[in-house]
Amino acid sequence: MSYYDIDAILTDSQKLPCTFELEVPGLGILEGNPGENIKAGTRIDLPLWLGEMLSIGARLGTSRLVTLDLPSALSERVMNALKADPRTVELRSLAPHFYSLSERILELFEEEEMVEVLSNTFKKRSAEIADHAHNPQGALGQGADFLRGLDETERQLFRVAHDSAKETRIWAGEAKKK
Amino acid sequence: MAFPLPRGITPSEISFLAEMETVTILPRQRLEGLELLGGPVEPLLPPRRASLPLWLALLLKRQRRANILPPPWLHPESLELILEIETKNDEYQHAFSPPPPLPGQPTPRDRRPPTTRPHYTPDGEKYYPAPPFLPQNTARDHIPPGEPPALPFHWLEVGTMLLEAASDDLVEPDQTRRLLKELREVRMAKIRSGVDVLDAAAMGGGGVALTGVGAMELGEGRRFIAGVVDGLRRIGASKEQARREEMAEEMANGGYDGTQDYEDGEMEF
Repeated sequence: MSYYDIDAILTDSQKLPCTFELEVPGLGILEGNPGENIKAGTRIDLPLWLGEMLSIGARLGTSRLVTLDLPSALSERVMNALKADPRTVELRSLAPHFYSLSERILELFEEEEMVEVLSNTFKKRSAEIADHAHNPQGALGQGADFLRGLDETERQLFRVAHDSAKETRIWAGEAKKK
Repeated sequence: MAFPLPRGITPSEISFLAEMETVTILPRQRLEGLELLGGPVEPLLPPRRASLPLWLALLLKRQRRANILPPPWLHPESLELILEIETKNDEYQHAFSPPPPLPGQPTPRDRRPPTTRPHYTPDGEKYYPAPPFLPQNTARDHIPPGEPPALPFHWLEVGTMLLEAASDDLVEPDQTRRLLKELREVRMAKIRSGVDVLDAAAMGGGGVALTGVGAMELGEGRRFIAGVVDGLRRIGASKEQARREEMAEEMANGGYDGTQDYEDGEMEF
Protein backbone atom coordinates (compact mmCIF):
# COMPACT_ATOMS: atom_id res chain seq x y z
CA MET A 1 0.00 0.00 0.00
CA SER A 2 1.72 3.11 -1.12
CA TYR A 3 1.32 6.70 -0.09
CA TYR A 4 -0.45 7.68 -3.30
CA ASP A 5 -2.69 4.62 -3.42
CA ILE A 6 -6.15 6.05 -4.05
CA ASP A 7 -7.81 2.95 -2.60
CA ALA A 8 -5.88 3.33 0.65
CA ILE A 9 -6.97 6.97 0.87
CA LEU A 10 -10.60 6.05 0.24
CA THR A 11 -10.40 3.28 2.83
CA ASP A 12 -9.12 5.80 5.36
CA SER A 13 -12.12 8.03 4.77
CA GLN A 14 -14.72 5.37 5.57
CA LYS A 15 -16.77 6.12 8.68
CA LEU A 16 -16.37 4.46 12.04
CA PRO A 17 -18.70 4.97 15.02
CA CYS A 18 -16.86 6.72 17.87
CA THR A 19 -18.01 7.63 21.37
CA PHE A 20 -16.47 10.69 23.02
CA GLU A 21 -15.26 10.06 26.56
CA LEU A 22 -14.47 13.68 27.40
CA GLU A 23 -16.12 16.99 26.78
CA VAL A 24 -14.27 18.77 24.00
CA PRO A 25 -14.70 22.53 23.63
CA GLY A 26 -15.40 23.89 20.19
CA LEU A 27 -15.52 20.59 18.37
CA GLY A 28 -19.27 20.71 17.81
CA ILE A 29 -18.62 21.19 14.12
CA LEU A 30 -18.27 17.41 13.83
CA GLU A 31 -21.84 17.09 15.01
CA GLY A 32 -23.16 19.86 12.81
CA ASN A 33 -23.28 22.58 15.52
CA PRO A 34 -20.31 24.84 14.80
CA GLY A 35 -19.03 26.72 17.82
CA GLU A 36 -20.66 24.44 20.36
CA ASN A 37 -18.91 22.01 22.68
CA ILE A 38 -19.05 18.27 22.21
CA LYS A 39 -20.34 16.48 25.29
CA ALA A 40 -18.96 13.31 26.78
CA GLY A 41 -20.88 10.27 25.62
CA THR A 42 -21.76 11.63 22.18
CA ARG A 43 -21.70 9.08 19.38
CA ILE A 44 -20.47 10.35 16.03
CA ASP A 45 -19.34 8.61 12.86
CA LEU A 46 -15.80 9.76 12.21
CA PRO A 47 -13.51 8.85 9.32
CA LEU A 48 -11.14 6.02 10.06
CA TRP A 49 -8.01 8.17 9.99
CA LEU A 50 -9.45 10.64 12.51
CA GLY A 51 -10.97 8.06 14.83
CA GLU A 52 -7.74 6.10 14.87
CA MET A 53 -5.76 9.20 15.87
CA LEU A 54 -8.21 10.26 18.59
CA SER A 55 -8.35 6.82 20.14
CA ILE A 56 -4.59 6.49 20.29
CA GLY A 57 -4.59 7.38 23.99
CA ALA A 58 -6.12 4.01 24.66
CA ARG A 59 -3.00 2.31 23.49
CA LEU A 60 -0.66 4.63 25.39
CA GLY A 61 -2.52 3.99 28.63
CA THR A 62 -3.54 7.60 29.24
CA SER A 63 -7.17 8.67 29.31
CA ARG A 64 -8.50 8.51 25.81
CA LEU A 65 -10.60 10.93 23.89
CA VAL A 66 -12.88 8.51 22.04
CA THR A 67 -13.65 4.82 22.08
CA LEU A 68 -14.07 3.06 18.78
CA ASP A 69 -16.82 0.67 17.79
CA LEU A 70 -17.01 -1.85 15.01
CA PRO A 71 -18.47 -0.28 11.86
CA SER A 72 -21.85 -1.57 10.70
CA ALA A 73 -20.19 -3.28 7.73
CA LEU A 74 -18.42 -5.64 10.13
CA SER A 75 -21.22 -6.09 12.65
CA GLU A 76 -22.32 -9.38 14.10
CA ARG A 77 -25.24 -9.52 11.68
CA VAL A 78 -22.95 -9.29 8.63
CA MET A 79 -20.56 -11.88 10.06
CA ASN A 80 -23.45 -14.31 10.54
CA ALA A 81 -24.62 -13.72 6.99
CA LEU A 82 -21.09 -14.34 5.71
CA LYS A 83 -20.85 -17.51 7.74
CA ALA A 84 -24.11 -18.75 6.27
CA ASP A 85 -23.29 -18.08 2.61
CA PRO A 86 -20.48 -15.75 1.57
CA ARG A 87 -21.66 -15.58 -2.02
CA THR A 88 -24.99 -13.94 -1.49
CA VAL A 89 -23.79 -10.96 0.54
CA GLU A 90 -23.37 -7.72 -1.37
CA LEU A 91 -20.12 -6.49 0.08
CA ARG A 92 -20.12 -3.36 -2.05
CA SER A 93 -23.28 -2.02 -0.47
CA LEU A 94 -21.79 -2.62 2.99
CA ALA A 95 -18.53 -0.83 2.22
CA PRO A 96 -16.94 -0.13 -1.16
CA HIS A 97 -13.54 -1.08 0.25
CA PHE A 98 -14.76 -3.89 2.45
CA TYR A 99 -11.56 -5.92 2.72
CA SER A 100 -9.23 -2.94 3.09
CA LEU A 101 -11.52 -1.63 5.81
CA SER A 102 -11.62 -4.92 7.65
CA GLU A 103 -7.87 -5.17 7.35
CA ARG A 104 -7.51 -1.83 9.14
CA ILE A 105 -10.16 -2.73 11.72
CA LEU A 106 -8.44 -6.01 12.51
CA GLU A 107 -5.30 -4.03 13.29
CA LEU A 108 -7.26 -2.06 15.89
CA PHE A 109 -9.43 -4.81 17.38
CA GLU A 110 -8.52 -8.33 18.36
CA GLU A 111 -11.06 -10.45 16.55
CA GLU A 112 -9.79 -13.98 16.03
CA GLU A 113 -13.07 -15.26 14.70
CA MET A 114 -13.51 -12.42 12.26
CA VAL A 115 -10.19 -13.31 10.60
CA GLU A 116 -11.47 -16.83 10.06
CA VAL A 117 -14.79 -15.71 8.66
CA LEU A 118 -13.24 -13.15 6.35
CA SER A 119 -10.54 -15.49 5.04
CA ASN A 120 -13.16 -18.07 4.30
CA THR A 121 -15.38 -15.48 2.63
CA PHE A 122 -12.53 -14.22 0.48
CA LYS A 123 -11.61 -17.74 -0.61
CA LYS A 124 -15.16 -18.76 -1.48
CA ARG A 125 -15.84 -15.57 -3.37
CA SER A 126 -12.49 -15.70 -5.21
CA ALA A 127 -13.34 -19.12 -6.58
CA GLU A 128 -16.66 -17.70 -7.80
CA ILE A 129 -14.93 -14.65 -9.27
CA ALA A 130 -12.49 -16.87 -11.18
CA ASP A 131 -15.37 -18.79 -12.72
CA HIS A 132 -17.08 -15.60 -13.82
CA ALA A 133 -13.84 -14.09 -15.11
CA HIS A 134 -13.36 -16.95 -17.55
CA ASN A 135 -16.75 -16.32 -19.05
CA PRO A 136 -15.92 -14.60 -22.36
CA GLN A 137 -18.93 -12.32 -22.02
CA GLY A 138 -17.25 -10.66 -19.08
CA ALA A 139 -19.41 -8.89 -16.56
CA LEU A 140 -22.46 -8.82 -18.81
CA GLY A 141 -23.47 -12.46 -18.80
CA GLN A 142 -25.23 -14.29 -16.05
CA GLY A 143 -24.00 -13.60 -12.56
CA ALA A 144 -24.06 -9.85 -13.11
CA ASP A 145 -25.82 -9.50 -9.77
CA PHE A 146 -22.99 -11.22 -7.96
CA LEU A 147 -20.39 -9.15 -9.77
CA ARG A 148 -22.16 -5.93 -8.85
CA GLY A 149 -21.76 -6.83 -5.19
CA LEU A 150 -17.97 -7.15 -5.38
CA ASP A 151 -15.87 -4.79 -3.30
CA GLU A 152 -12.89 -2.93 -4.77
CA THR A 153 -10.28 -5.63 -3.98
CA GLU A 154 -12.46 -8.25 -5.59
CA ARG A 155 -13.05 -6.08 -8.63
CA GLN A 156 -9.32 -5.82 -9.18
CA LEU A 157 -9.07 -9.58 -8.80
CA PHE A 158 -11.83 -10.03 -11.37
CA ARG A 159 -10.08 -7.66 -13.74
CA VAL A 160 -6.68 -9.42 -13.63
CA ALA A 161 -8.28 -12.86 -13.97
CA HIS A 162 -10.42 -11.70 -16.88
CA ASP A 163 -7.53 -9.95 -18.62
CA SER A 164 -5.13 -12.86 -18.41
CA ALA A 165 -7.80 -15.27 -19.65
CA LYS A 166 -8.55 -12.93 -22.54
CA GLU A 167 -4.89 -12.47 -23.46
CA THR A 168 -4.39 -16.21 -23.54
CA ARG A 169 -7.46 -16.64 -25.72
CA ILE A 170 -6.17 -14.00 -28.12
CA TRP A 171 -2.80 -15.73 -28.26
CA ALA A 172 -4.45 -19.08 -28.94
CA GLY A 173 -6.42 -17.49 -31.78
CA GLU A 174 -9.79 -18.22 -30.18
CA ALA A 175 -10.69 -14.58 -29.74
CA LYS A 176 -9.96 -11.55 -31.85
CA LYS A 177 -8.03 -8.55 -30.74
CA LYS A 178 -10.45 -5.72 -30.29
CA MET B 1 1.74 3.28 -13.01
CA ALA B 2 4.11 4.44 -15.67
CA PHE B 3 4.88 0.96 -16.90
CA PRO B 4 2.07 0.01 -19.26
CA LEU B 5 2.42 -3.76 -19.03
CA PRO B 6 0.87 -5.64 -16.12
CA ARG B 7 2.95 -7.77 -13.81
CA GLY B 8 3.97 -11.18 -14.96
CA ILE B 9 4.65 -12.38 -18.44
CA THR B 10 2.42 -12.14 -21.49
CA PRO B 11 1.32 -15.16 -23.55
CA SER B 12 3.42 -14.10 -26.52
CA GLU B 13 6.49 -13.88 -24.30
CA ILE B 14 5.83 -17.37 -22.99
CA SER B 15 5.51 -18.78 -26.48
CA PHE B 16 8.71 -16.97 -27.43
CA LEU B 17 10.48 -18.81 -24.62
CA ALA B 18 8.92 -22.07 -25.76
CA GLU B 19 10.52 -21.64 -29.19
CA MET B 20 13.81 -22.67 -27.59
CA GLU B 21 12.55 -26.25 -27.20
CA THR B 22 14.29 -28.79 -29.40
CA VAL B 23 12.19 -30.66 -31.95
CA THR B 24 13.01 -33.29 -34.54
CA ILE B 25 12.73 -32.52 -38.24
CA LEU B 26 13.10 -34.42 -41.44
CA PRO B 27 14.90 -32.03 -43.81
CA ARG B 28 14.08 -31.94 -47.49
CA GLN B 29 17.09 -29.86 -48.48
CA ARG B 30 20.71 -29.73 -47.51
CA LEU B 31 21.81 -27.01 -45.16
CA GLU B 32 25.23 -26.45 -43.70
CA GLY B 33 25.64 -26.39 -39.96
CA LEU B 34 24.98 -23.10 -38.20
CA GLU B 35 26.85 -21.66 -35.26
CA LEU B 36 24.11 -20.13 -33.10
CA LEU B 37 24.44 -18.51 -29.71
CA GLY B 38 22.44 -21.34 -28.17
CA GLY B 39 24.85 -23.94 -29.56
CA PRO B 40 25.77 -25.34 -32.96
CA VAL B 41 23.13 -26.76 -35.28
CA GLU B 42 24.13 -29.91 -37.06
CA PRO B 43 24.26 -29.85 -40.88
CA LEU B 44 21.03 -30.97 -42.48
CA LEU B 45 21.42 -33.89 -44.84
CA PRO B 46 18.19 -35.40 -46.13
CA PRO B 47 16.91 -37.95 -45.30
CA ARG B 48 18.68 -37.91 -41.94
CA ARG B 49 16.69 -36.63 -39.01
CA ALA B 50 18.00 -33.63 -37.13
CA SER B 51 17.19 -31.86 -33.87
CA LEU B 52 16.66 -28.12 -34.12
CA PRO B 53 15.23 -25.36 -31.97
CA LEU B 54 11.52 -24.96 -32.56
CA TRP B 55 11.80 -21.49 -34.09
CA LEU B 56 14.23 -22.70 -36.76
CA ALA B 57 12.13 -25.78 -37.41
CA LEU B 58 9.02 -23.63 -37.89
CA LEU B 59 10.92 -21.33 -40.24
CA LEU B 60 12.10 -24.23 -42.36
CA LYS B 61 8.63 -25.74 -42.29
CA ARG B 62 7.04 -22.53 -43.54
CA GLN B 63 9.56 -22.42 -46.37
CA ARG B 64 8.74 -26.05 -47.16
CA ARG B 65 12.33 -27.10 -46.57
CA ALA B 66 11.55 -29.60 -43.81
CA ASN B 67 8.89 -31.70 -42.14
CA ILE B 68 8.48 -31.68 -38.39
CA LEU B 69 8.16 -34.99 -36.59
CA PRO B 70 5.68 -34.52 -33.77
CA PRO B 71 6.80 -35.42 -30.23
CA PRO B 72 5.33 -38.63 -28.82
CA TRP B 73 3.02 -36.85 -26.37
CA LEU B 74 1.38 -34.84 -29.17
CA HIS B 75 -0.44 -37.87 -30.47
CA PRO B 76 -4.19 -38.42 -30.08
CA GLU B 77 -3.61 -41.68 -28.22
CA SER B 78 -1.22 -40.16 -25.70
CA LEU B 79 -3.42 -37.11 -25.20
CA GLU B 80 -6.45 -39.33 -24.74
CA LEU B 81 -4.58 -41.25 -22.06
CA ILE B 82 -3.49 -38.07 -20.26
CA LEU B 83 -7.01 -36.69 -20.43
CA GLU B 84 -8.28 -39.89 -18.87
CA ILE B 85 -5.77 -39.57 -16.04
CA GLU B 86 -6.85 -35.97 -15.50
CA THR B 87 -10.57 -36.64 -15.43
CA LYS B 88 -11.18 -40.24 -14.40
CA ASN B 89 -8.38 -41.06 -11.97
CA ASP B 90 -9.39 -40.38 -8.38
CA GLU B 91 -5.80 -39.75 -7.40
CA TYR B 92 -5.63 -36.82 -9.80
CA GLN B 93 -9.08 -35.43 -9.13
CA HIS B 94 -7.58 -32.20 -7.80
CA ALA B 95 -4.00 -32.61 -9.00
CA PHE B 96 -2.40 -32.37 -12.40
CA SER B 97 -1.11 -35.34 -14.36
CA PRO B 98 2.54 -35.97 -13.50
CA PRO B 99 5.16 -34.17 -15.60
CA PRO B 100 7.75 -36.12 -17.55
CA PRO B 101 10.39 -37.56 -15.25
CA LEU B 102 13.46 -35.46 -14.69
CA PRO B 103 16.83 -37.13 -14.99
CA GLY B 104 18.56 -37.76 -11.71
CA GLN B 105 15.29 -38.05 -9.80
CA PRO B 106 13.29 -41.15 -9.08
CA THR B 107 9.84 -41.04 -10.68
CA PRO B 108 6.99 -40.96 -8.19
CA ARG B 109 5.49 -44.14 -9.61
CA ASP B 110 8.40 -46.45 -9.08
CA ARG B 111 11.19 -45.69 -6.69
CA ARG B 112 13.92 -47.10 -8.86
CA PRO B 113 17.23 -45.29 -8.72
CA PRO B 114 17.75 -42.91 -11.62
CA THR B 115 19.18 -44.55 -14.68
CA THR B 116 20.26 -41.48 -16.62
CA ARG B 117 23.87 -40.52 -16.44
CA PRO B 118 24.75 -37.08 -15.13
CA HIS B 119 26.43 -34.55 -17.38
CA TYR B 120 29.61 -32.75 -16.47
CA THR B 121 30.47 -29.09 -16.77
CA PRO B 122 33.83 -28.05 -18.27
CA ASP B 123 35.08 -27.71 -14.69
CA GLY B 124 34.22 -31.31 -13.99
CA GLU B 125 31.18 -30.64 -11.81
CA LYS B 126 28.29 -33.03 -12.02
CA TYR B 127 24.87 -31.76 -13.11
CA TYR B 128 21.60 -33.00 -14.50
CA PRO B 129 20.08 -30.94 -17.28
CA ALA B 130 16.62 -29.53 -16.68
CA PRO B 131 14.03 -28.12 -19.11
CA PRO B 132 14.42 -26.44 -21.59
CA PHE B 133 17.69 -28.32 -22.08
CA LEU B 134 15.96 -31.68 -22.09
CA PRO B 135 14.76 -33.15 -25.36
CA GLN B 136 11.15 -33.45 -24.22
CA ASN B 137 9.67 -32.55 -27.57
CA THR B 138 11.80 -34.60 -29.92
CA ALA B 139 10.44 -37.58 -31.74
CA ARG B 140 11.49 -40.96 -30.41
CA ASP B 141 11.45 -44.24 -32.25
CA HIS B 142 10.91 -46.51 -29.32
CA ILE B 143 9.51 -45.54 -25.97
CA PRO B 144 10.70 -47.65 -23.04
CA PRO B 145 7.84 -49.72 -21.67
CA GLY B 146 6.32 -48.49 -18.46
CA GLU B 147 6.90 -44.87 -19.30
CA PRO B 148 3.49 -43.21 -19.47
CA PRO B 149 2.96 -40.23 -21.79
CA ALA B 150 3.32 -36.95 -19.95
CA LEU B 151 2.88 -33.31 -20.81
CA PRO B 152 6.13 -31.32 -20.84
CA PHE B 153 6.40 -27.84 -19.34
CA HIS B 154 5.71 -26.08 -22.65
CA TRP B 155 3.01 -28.46 -23.86
CA LEU B 156 0.36 -25.91 -24.72
CA GLU B 157 2.71 -23.57 -26.60
CA VAL B 158 4.51 -26.28 -28.58
CA GLY B 159 1.23 -28.03 -29.31
CA THR B 160 -0.52 -24.90 -30.50
CA MET B 161 2.42 -23.72 -32.62
CA LEU B 162 2.81 -27.09 -34.28
CA LEU B 163 -0.91 -27.26 -34.98
CA GLU B 164 -0.78 -23.84 -36.53
CA ALA B 165 2.31 -24.22 -38.70
CA ALA B 166 2.67 -27.93 -39.28
CA SER B 167 -0.77 -29.44 -38.96
CA ASP B 168 -0.14 -31.63 -42.03
CA ASP B 169 2.74 -33.35 -40.22
CA LEU B 170 0.63 -34.34 -37.23
CA VAL B 171 -1.46 -37.44 -36.82
CA GLU B 172 -5.15 -36.46 -37.00
CA PRO B 173 -4.68 -32.72 -36.38
CA ASP B 174 -8.39 -32.04 -35.74
CA GLN B 175 -8.59 -34.71 -33.09
CA THR B 176 -5.35 -33.41 -31.55
CA ARG B 177 -6.66 -29.86 -31.51
CA ARG B 178 -9.87 -30.92 -29.80
CA LEU B 179 -7.98 -32.94 -27.18
CA LEU B 180 -5.57 -30.08 -26.45
CA LYS B 181 -8.50 -27.75 -25.94
CA GLU B 182 -10.24 -30.19 -23.65
CA LEU B 183 -7.10 -30.76 -21.62
CA ARG B 184 -6.63 -27.06 -21.25
CA GLU B 185 -10.16 -26.53 -20.01
CA VAL B 186 -9.97 -29.40 -17.52
CA ARG B 187 -6.69 -28.12 -16.12
CA MET B 188 -7.79 -24.48 -15.94
CA ALA B 189 -10.83 -25.57 -13.96
CA LYS B 190 -8.48 -27.35 -11.56
CA ILE B 191 -6.38 -24.22 -11.14
CA ARG B 192 -9.48 -22.16 -10.40
CA SER B 193 -10.89 -24.60 -7.90
CA GLY B 194 -7.46 -24.78 -6.26
CA VAL B 195 -8.11 -21.47 -4.50
CA ASP B 196 -9.07 -23.43 -1.39
CA VAL B 197 -5.51 -24.51 -0.72
CA LEU B 198 -4.01 -21.08 -1.30
CA ASP B 199 -4.32 -19.91 2.31
CA ALA B 200 -1.54 -22.36 3.08
CA ALA B 201 0.69 -20.14 0.99
CA ALA B 202 -0.58 -16.96 2.64
CA MET B 203 -0.24 -18.01 6.26
CA GLY B 204 3.48 -18.63 6.20
CA GLY B 205 5.29 -21.89 6.38
CA GLY B 206 3.00 -23.47 3.83
CA GLY B 207 3.28 -24.15 0.16
CA VAL B 208 1.09 -25.05 -2.77
CA ALA B 209 2.03 -27.88 -5.08
CA LEU B 210 2.14 -26.79 -8.71
CA THR B 211 3.87 -29.90 -10.03
CA GLY B 212 2.96 -30.62 -13.59
CA VAL B 213 1.48 -27.21 -14.39
CA GLY B 214 2.61 -25.88 -17.76
CA ALA B 215 4.22 -22.55 -18.52
CA MET B 216 1.21 -21.03 -20.26
CA GLU B 217 -1.14 -22.14 -17.50
CA LEU B 218 1.14 -20.59 -14.91
CA GLY B 219 1.25 -17.38 -16.93
CA GLU B 220 -2.50 -17.30 -17.19
CA GLY B 221 -3.12 -18.06 -13.54
CA ARG B 222 -0.26 -16.06 -12.07
CA ARG B 223 -1.94 -12.72 -11.54
CA PHE B 224 -5.14 -14.17 -10.13
CA ILE B 225 -3.36 -16.56 -7.77
CA ALA B 226 -0.98 -13.85 -6.60
CA GLY B 227 -3.97 -11.57 -5.98
CA VAL B 228 -5.79 -14.17 -3.89
CA VAL B 229 -2.70 -15.00 -1.85
CA ASP B 230 -2.02 -11.34 -1.24
CA GLY B 231 -5.64 -10.71 -0.17
CA LEU B 232 -5.57 -13.64 2.24
CA ARG B 233 -2.26 -12.47 3.62
CA ARG B 234 -3.62 -9.01 4.29
CA ILE B 235 -6.73 -10.32 6.04
CA GLY B 236 -4.64 -12.68 8.14
CA ALA B 237 -1.91 -10.10 8.86
CA SER B 238 -3.16 -9.27 12.35
CA LYS B 239 -3.44 -12.91 13.28
CA GLU B 240 0.03 -13.57 11.92
CA GLN B 241 1.32 -10.64 13.96
CA ALA B 242 -0.27 -12.03 17.13
CA ARG B 243 1.22 -15.45 16.41
CA ARG B 244 4.69 -13.96 15.99
CA GLU B 245 4.41 -12.04 19.23
CA GLU B 246 3.34 -15.21 20.97
CA MET B 247 6.32 -17.02 19.56
CA ALA B 248 8.67 -14.24 20.58
CA GLU B 249 7.22 -14.39 24.07
CA GLU B 250 7.71 -18.12 24.20
CA MET B 251 11.29 -17.70 23.09
CA ALA B 252 11.85 -15.11 25.80
CA ASN B 253 10.40 -17.43 28.42
CA GLY B 254 12.85 -20.16 27.50
CA GLY B 255 12.19 -21.77 24.15
CA TYR B 256 13.56 -25.16 25.17
CA ASP B 257 12.53 -27.27 28.11
CA GLY B 258 15.47 -26.62 30.44
CA THR B 259 14.35 -23.84 32.79
CA GLN B 260 17.48 -24.44 34.81
CA ASP B 261 19.74 -23.49 31.93
CA TYR B 262 17.73 -20.37 31.36
CA GLU B 263 18.31 -19.21 34.92
CA ASP B 264 21.97 -19.98 34.63
CA GLY B 265 22.13 -17.90 31.53
CA GLU B 266 20.42 -15.05 33.26
CA MET B 267 23.01 -15.06 36.01
CA GLU B 268 25.81 -14.45 33.61
CA PHE B 269 24.39 -11.21 32.39
